[in-house]
Amino acid sequence: MNDDDLLRYGRHIMLPEIDFEGQKKLLAAKVLIIGVGGLGSPVAIYLAASGIGEISIADHDIVELNNLQRQIAHDEKSLGQSKVSSCANRMNAINSKINIIQLDIKLSGEQLLSSVAKADIVVDCTDNLKTRFEINRACVQQKKWLVSAAAIRWEGQISVYHCGNKDSPCYHCCYGLRESGSKELDQTCSTNGVLSPVVGVMGSMQAIEVIKLIIAKGDLLVARVLLFDALSMQWESMQLPKNPDCPVCGQVQK
Amino acid sequence: MNITLKCFAGLKRHLPAHAKANQAEVEVDAGISVYQAIDHFNIDREEAYLVILNGVFVCPPDRDTMILKENDTLALWPEVAGG
Repeated sequence: MNDDDLLRYGRHIMLPEIDFEGQKKLLAAKVLIIGVGGLGSPVAIYLAASGIGEISIADHDIVELNNLQRQIAHDEKSLGQSKVSSCANRMNAINSKINIIQLDIKLSGEQLLSSVAKADIVVDCTDNLKTRFEINRACVQQKKWLVSAAAIRWEGQISVYHCGNKDSPCYHCCYGLRESGSKELDQTCSTNGVLSPVVGVMGSMQAIEVIKLIIAKGDLLVARVLLFDALSMQWESMQLPKNPDCPVCGQVQK
Repeated sequence: MNITLKCFAGLKRHLPAHAKANQAEVEVDAGISVYQAIDHFNIDREEAYLVILNGVFVCPPDRDTMILKENDTLALWPEVAGG
């Protein structure tokens, strides 16, 4: 770290849990953020500002006017641009020292697996169950940490999955039966609405868990889901046991 | 027997009139299962996807066989997947 780095990250370095060594770990970390919409915007902005050394951002959408109510990485000047390039511009304006990898594609199949393999931590900021199931499978297969949050209407939830650890539950342990259930898998913000700052709260908490993972400090939301009801301003903590019969993580050996 | 029923988000409409904030003490028949309790309050099983008994997620296959006990707390949330 040079003098500028010490000045830039000074408020982190003052924290005894981070210090120089922790900030060096952040500068050396590789994080993949999938989806740079409502959740992904605060995640990308906070992780860029925090000095995560390499951040890959994946999204295949373009910025539309109805995104600007909550997707704070984008602005009126980026309407019509790809979300990835708009978000990268915002991140670069905050911190030009970090490496930003732009994946302007619908990350799936082999491309998803190889992108997950290259990352230390995967952050799921997508907007639908189908994609969430695929990301979870890729993280279990590649034995990667998955920091997952979701938001809709006035509600949010967040958890951290230690994919590849034989004792840790995965996303499928919680929502698995939804994949084959009778109800449609389209509970998205575009069909149900979402309060703008709810995605900010949940995305900011994802960024916190990513940083704690990298510096290996604090208690992570592993095997625990936090649920947030903004309308009544209530939080609920839910223990999530591993499902030994889970078709995705039930056979993991480590 | 009495249990505490907690309903969040859109499920709050299923709470009885005497509920305070998101929860109410309610009386149910002894020996009923988690799903029977959810049915008792006319709550859609799929809408209340996240079922939490005394702070622990109840996997859907266990909801027919897991029996409620006096003073249990049953919390219900809808699924959340957007972003």
